[in-house]
Amino acid sequence: MVVSPDIFYVEDDPDFAFIMQYAVKEVKEDLTVGIVEDGNTAIAHLQRFAEEKHRPKLILLDLNLPGLSGLDVLKRIKEIPFFKYVPVILFSTSDDPKDVKSSLEIGANAFMTKPNGYNNLIVCMQSLYDFWFNQNRSIN
Amino acid sequence: MNINNVDLTNCDREPIHIPGKIQSHGFMLVVNSESFLITYISENLSGFLSSPVKSLLGLPVAEFEKLDEFGSSNLQLAALLKLGGAQQSFETINPYPLQINGKHYYLIISLSGAEYILEFEPISIEYDIQNQIGKSVSAILSGKNVNALLQNTAREVRDIIHYDRVMIYKFLEDGHGEVVAEVKNDDLESFYGLHYPASDIPKQARELYKLNFTRIIADVNSLSSPILTLNEEKPLDLTNSVLRAVSPIHIQYLKNMGVESSFSISLLSHGELWGLVACHNYSPKFIDYKAREAAKLIGKIVSSALEYREEEEESSQQNNYQEALHALTLALNKDGDMLSTLTAQEYTLNDIISSTGVAVLFEGQISTKGIVPGEDQLWALFKWLKKTMDDTIYYTHSLPEVYHAAREYKAVGSGIVASIISRDMEEMIVWFKPEQITTINWAGDPNKPAVKGEDGLLNLSPRHSFETFAEMVENTSVKWRKAEIANVIKIREKIITAINKKAGEIRLLNERLKKAYEELDTFSYTISHDLRTPLTSIKSYTELVIATNKSLDEQGKKMLGRVVAGADKMAFLINEILKLARVGRAEVDFEPIDMGHLIEEISREVISSLNAAHVNVKLGELPTIMGAQPLITQVFTNLIGNAVKYSAASVNPEVMIEGKIAGDEVIYKVSDNGIGIEVDHHDKVYELFKRMDNVKEYEGTGVGLAIVKRIVEKHKARIWFESELKVGTVFYIAFKK
Repeated sequence: MVVSPDIFYVEDDPDFAFIMQYAVKEVKEDLTVGIVEDGNTAIAHLQRFAEEKHRPKLILLDLNLPGLSGLDVLKRIKEIPFFKYVPVILFSTSDDPKDVKSSLEIGANAFMTKPNGYNNLIVCMQSLYDFWFNQNRSIN
Repeated sequence: MNINNVDLTNCDREPIHIPGKIQSHGFMLVVNSESFLITYISENLSGFLSSPVKSLLGLPVAEFEKLDEFGSSNLQLAALLKLGGAQQSFETINPYPLQINGKHYYLIISLSGAEYILEFEPISIEYDIQNQIGKSVSAILSGKNVNALLQNTAREVRDIIHYDRVMIYKFLEDGHGEVVAEVKNDDLESFYGLHYPASDIPKQARELYKLNFTRIIADVNSLSSPILTLNEEKPLDLTNSVLRAVSPIHIQYLKNMGVESSFSISLLSHGELWGLVACHNYSPKFIDYKAREAAKLIGKIVSSALEYREEEEESSQQNNYQEALHALTLALNKDGDMLSTLTAQEYTLNDIISSTGVAVLFEGQISTKGIVPGEDQLWALFKWLKKTMDDTIYYTHSLPEVYHAAREYKAVGSGIVASIISRDMEEMIVWFKPEQITTINWAGDPNKPAVKGEDGLLNLSPRHSFETFAEMVENTSVKWRKAEIANVIKIREKIITAINKKAGEIRLLNERLKKAYEELDTFSYTISHDLRTPLTSIKSYTELVIATNKSLDEQGKKMLGRVVAGADKMAFLINEILKLARVGRAEVDFEPIDMGHLIEEISREVISSLNAAHVNVKLGELPTIMGAQPLITQVFTNLIGNAVKYSAASVNPEVMIEGKIAGDEVIYKVSDNGIGIEVDHHDKVYELFKRMDNVKEYEGTGVGLAIVKRIVEKHKARIWFESELKVGTVFYIAFKK
C-alpha cells in the first residue's frame, strides 16, 4: 500500500529534486512531495495510484527526461480517467514558445519555467500551492 | 556570208564593218586559222606598207608576205601560224623579228577564236634587257617587308623602262585603290598615299588586267586606227591583242592628268588582282614587246613575293596575338582580380587583335587599356550594345553609321568588336579601332554621279581635274579580320571558364559559411540551454545554505550572496544569448500585427520593470505591419526599453513612438531625449556585447541591439538611427508593407 504524496514530481536532475524538497517544506511543513527520476517509473507509479485510488493533488513534469519525455508522460496521464481532474504542470528550464504551445495543446494545465534559485523556487511553489491547493480547491 | 567566197570584185561593195580599233603605233592583220585568208586589217597598215589596205582583205596570207616592203626575207607566215596553231600557243614564237623597209619590227601573234591576230610593232630597245632584270629582281627581293618590297619594285621598274612616274596601287577591300609606293621625277607632284575611287578602274577593266599582265598606251593623243573587214557579222575579240585601243573615257582620264602615255603591270595574289604597277609618262612613250615581257616577269616575281611576304607578316602578327592569348589564359587560371588580369598585366586584351583600345565592364566597374572613348560615352555604348546585341559577339567597322552617338568619338572608335561575358551581370568587353583616315585624299570625287553622254547612254563623267580634293570617308575603320574575331571568341570562352571556376569556389564557400553559421546558432542555443541547469544548481544550493545553515556568520552570508549575484548576472547573459540564437533559428511567419495594442502593452511593461513612471511615453499613429509577433515584440521591447532607460535621468524625459506609411514601407520611429550615442560608435551599436562608454552605469549586456538588428534583417526590413550626445536618439525601422 502506497500513500500518494500531495505533489507528484517527475525530475531527473537530483539537484533540482533535492532543492525542491526543501522548498516544499518551506511552503508548508506537512506538504508531501514524491519524486521519480524518469517517465517509465512515473507511469508505473501513477498506474498503481490509480488502482489503489490514491490521487495526488498536483503533478509536476520535467519536460526533458531520459527515455519518455515529459510530453509523453503527459499524454499517458491524460489517458487515465482517474487523473482527469488532477492538474498537471509542465516544469522546465526551457522557455521556448514551441514547448509551451505543444504542452498546452496536449492538455497541460500550465507550463512553468523553472525558477532560478532556491528563493525563487520557494516563491514559485508558494504561489502554486496557493492557486492549486487553496483557491482552486474545487477542481480537486 | 561565207568568207571564202569574198573576192576583190565584190569587197568594194560590201559594207565594211569596223569591229574595233587599235593604237596606231603598230598595225594588225588577221588571218583565218582554217582558210589562211586575211579576214581583218587595221586601216593604218597603209602607213607602214604601200599596198592599198582593202585589196588585201580576203587574200591568202601568202600574198601578203610577197609585198615589196618585206624585201627578200622569206617570212613563211603560213608555216609560223601552223606551228603555233599546232602548239595552241605562240609563246615560243613571240616576238618574231622582221624588217619592213629596212626597219626592225616584232611580229606578235595571238589567238582570237578561229582567227590568228598578227600585230606588227616597232622595236625600241637596243640593249640586252634580260641582264638588267636579273639585277633588278635581286634588288626588289632584298626588301624585308611588304612596303620595302613595293618601293623597290617601283624603283627597279623605273630603272628598266624609264617612265616619269612609277606608282604601285593597292586595291582595298571595297575596291578603291591606294598609292602605296611611288618613284617619280622630282618636278612631279607626289600621289603617294592618295586613294582612288573604285570606279576609276571598273570591273571589266580589272578582269582584263588579270588576263593581260601588261598593258601599254603609247600616246593618248594619237588617233586609233579602225579595223576593217568584209565580215560584219563577227566582231573581233581583241582581248589578247597588244595593240587594242583604249576606251575614250580612260584616254580622257589620262589627258586630264596630263599623262600622255602609260604602262601597267598587274600584281596578283591568290589569283586575285592585288594591285597594279602604274607607269605614267608626260610625253608619248613606247616600249617594245621584249621590254614589256621583262616587266611582266618582274610583275610575276613580285606577285609571288607579295603573296609570301603578306602571309608571313600576317602569320607573324597572328603569332603575336596567340602569344598574348596564351599569356592571358595562364593569368586567368591564376587567382586574382579579373579586371587587372585583363587590362593591367604585361599582355592585355588589347594585344590579341588589332585594336587600339579596349574597355571591360565587369562587376559594375569599367577598366580600360589603350585609347578608348570617355567614361560616360562608354556607359552609353555598353547600354546600347546590351539592348542591341542578339548574339554574344558583335563587330562593325562603321559604328558611327549604326550608332550615331559614336560620331563624337569616331577618331577613337569607328570600329568595334563587342563580346558579352554575362548578360545578366551586364558584363562585356569592347575593343576599339580608330577611323581609318579621317580625311582621305581622294583622287577624284567618288560620289560624282555618272552623267549621260552625248549619245544618251550612261557614261562615267571624265575627271577634268586631277586636283586632289579631300573627301571625308567618315565613320569607318579598317575591317576586322576573321582571325581576330576568332581570337575574341577564344578569349571570351577562357574568361567564362575562369569566372565559372571562381563562382563555383564562392558557392562552395558560401555553403560552408551557411553551415558554420547554422552550427554556431545550434551551438549557442544548446550551450546556453545546458549552462542554465548547473547555474541554477549553484544559485539554488547557495541560497539553500544561506537559508538553512544556522552556523553561518554575517561575513559568510555576504560572500555567499556575491556567489548568488554572480550566478544571476551569468543567467541573465545566457538568457540574452539564447534569445539571439533563437532569432537565428526562427522562421518568420509574416502575419499582420496590431501595433497599437502591442506597443501599448510593451510600453507599460517597460515602464513598470524599469520603475520609470516619470518618463512620458507618447504614442503616435501605429499602423499595422507584417511580421512575426514574438520577434517584433522583442524589437520594440529593446528599443523602447533603451529609450526609457537612457532618458530616465533627463529633465522631462520623453519617449515617442510612431509609425508612418512611406511608399511601400512602414517606417517606425522610436525617439527619446536621453544621453545619446557618440558619433564614433555609430557603426558599433549593433555589435554583440558592445556597450558604449556613456552607459556604464546602466544595466545592460550589449546583446539587445544585436538581437534587434538580427530580427530586422530576418524581416528584410531596414534599421538606422540618428543621435546626438545629451540630446537624444531616434531609431528608425522601415518594414516592408
